[in-house]
Amino acid sequence: MVQKIESQYREILKQYIQMQSEQNLYEGQNFSRKLIAENTSPEDVISMHKAALQELHEEMPAQVWHSFDLLIEMMISYGMALQERQSLIKRQEELRVEMDLAANVQETLLKTTLPNVSGLDIGLLSIPLRKMNGDYVYFISDHKRYAGVAVADVIGKGLPAALCMSMIKFGMDTFNSPNARPEEVLSVINRIVEKSIDDSMFVSMFYGNYDAETARLTYGSAGHEPAILYRAETNSFFELHAKGLLLGVAPNVAYGEYDVQLNENDMVIIMTDGVTEGRNEDGFIEREVIFDLIEAKKDQPAQTIAQHVFNELERMQNAELKDDFSIVICKKI
Amino acid sequence: MNIQVDLTEVDNRVTGSISGEIDAHTAPVLREKLEVFQNRPSLEAELDLSEVNYMDSTGLGVFVAFYKALNNNGGHVKLIGLSSRLKRLFDITGLGEIMDIEAAGKGGI
Amino acid sequence: MSNQSSVDIKSEWDIVAARQLGRNVAKELGFGTVDQARITTAISELARNIYLYAGEGKVEIMGIVENGLSGILIIASDEGPGIPDIRRVMEDGFSTSGGLGAGLPGVKRLMDEFKIDTVHGEGTAIKATKWLR
Repeated sequence: MVQKIESQYREILKQYIQMQSEQNLYEGQNFSRKLIAENTSPEDVISMHKAALQELHEEMPAQVWHSFDLLIEMMISYGMALQERQSLIKRQEELRVEMDLAANVQETLLKTTLPNVSGLDIGLLSIPLRKMNGDYVYFISDHKRYAGVAVADVIGKGLPAALCMSMIKFGMDTFNSPNARPEEVLSVINRIVEKSIDDSMFVSMFYGNYDAETARLTYGSAGHEPAILYRAETNSFFELHAKGLLLGVAPNVAYGEYDVQLNENDMVIIMTDGVTEGRNEDGFIEREVIFDLIEAKKDQPAQTIAQHVFNELERMQNAELKDDFSIVICKKI
Repeated sequence: MNIQVDLTEVDNRVTGSISGEIDAHTAPVLREKLEVFQNRPSLEAELDLSEVNYMDSTGLGVFVAFYKALNNNGGHVKLIGLSSRLKRLFDITGLGEIMDIEAAGKGGI
Repeated sequence: MSNQSSVDIKSEWDIVAARQLGRNVAKELGFGTVDQARITTAISELARNIYLYAGEGKVEIMGIVENGLSGILIIASDEGPGIPDIRRVMEDGFSTSGGLGAGLPGVKRLMDEFKIDTVHGEGTAIKATKWLR
């Protein structure tokens, strides 16, 4: 095998020394591909070259042969670097497969069902920047009267954020009630998060509960980007201010509870900072831009509006989002 | 995407200024510089953020960790010169209520 | 065992002496030019590790015969701080990312057999063998 390769190379080299044609060089290129496929190290290639040349032109001066020995010695390190690289590529591939599996686990873990209560149309879009999502949207509902919606954003992105997020899910699962009160939900989740994460980690979270009988939304926020209220009657937008510290900063925090009456075609829009902190070449994408996007599709179903906001913001940022992106639109119909 | 952190310490009091952008890329630089001081007992720190033109939640995380560490050791952190955008970030997150922050004067952004 | 000899590593010049000894032994045993270069590079890396991390130590080089195969055995030993996390130093990318050269995974690939014994605070002994084919 080795000898066959050596004699093939000798033939290519011989032809090239005689004719120096492009055809010979092309054969050389193809031959090098074969060597790479067989994992031939650079020092072996030089050694092969030296041996071939010795057979073809043994009359060459000793200096030439010595020079090849130096080159072989130097190529050993290149060969080692190459092998290390190949092994790293293999490891990277293993990590990628592992990451895919983890993303699948996350997807299953965080599956949530849109509430089905009369008079409320809900649209949801949550797009991770990388494979794992650091945003979390969770619904809890009896599919009759109450619809609870939680939107949480873990600081950071990727794997660490995703791991932290499963904590919120299990915290939420402990409230087996479709009309859990925001102040209670937030303070319980805060206690769980505060105990479990390090000092530079935290989570922002919005929690709202809609009562279909009264068409009122009761809500609270733990340091989350204010939700937006769209009033159809006046065609105007308001921020739903709510006081409350981020989750995970202090152990005992009391959260405020607020409520708002929704009328026909009003909307409440809950976003993470991946939506509101968008930037393009001209600077920040102002909130008014997002309002305009919503207004342009205000007569469409909530899901269509959410998709439109995402499409347009993505386009404005040349498809380069910087953070996980989540938006929930609750439209009173 | 750049950050500059200048800190000086005199008599257990750290003063300094931060300029540039504090995001996921630059936050580790800031964290490293602040961590030097975070285990000192009763350290007073005053950081001027008036030249910070962008900060995201990762940046906020660095200040929260620094605030927690100093508070636990009987110290105090004050952040001054906050632009309206930064001030809003501290207010929304509720951190403005527990941390000592001061917005930039009327001449500020 | 035959051809046993050793070089004390105390300065950077001793790395060259260890290389020379290794090359001579490898040549005598009948290794080809490329294998000689591989063995020498491995010795060089091991000696350099001693010089950089332990300050001093020694490299022993000998021809061996086992199960009818002959080969070369290198033993690099020192009484330095030891290696706290062997798995880590044997990981690709660990030493090269710090610009420290090919590192131990590289040496392992150049040779046929490779074994580390290290005790924290007492020192390290690395044995590496290459067989003549």
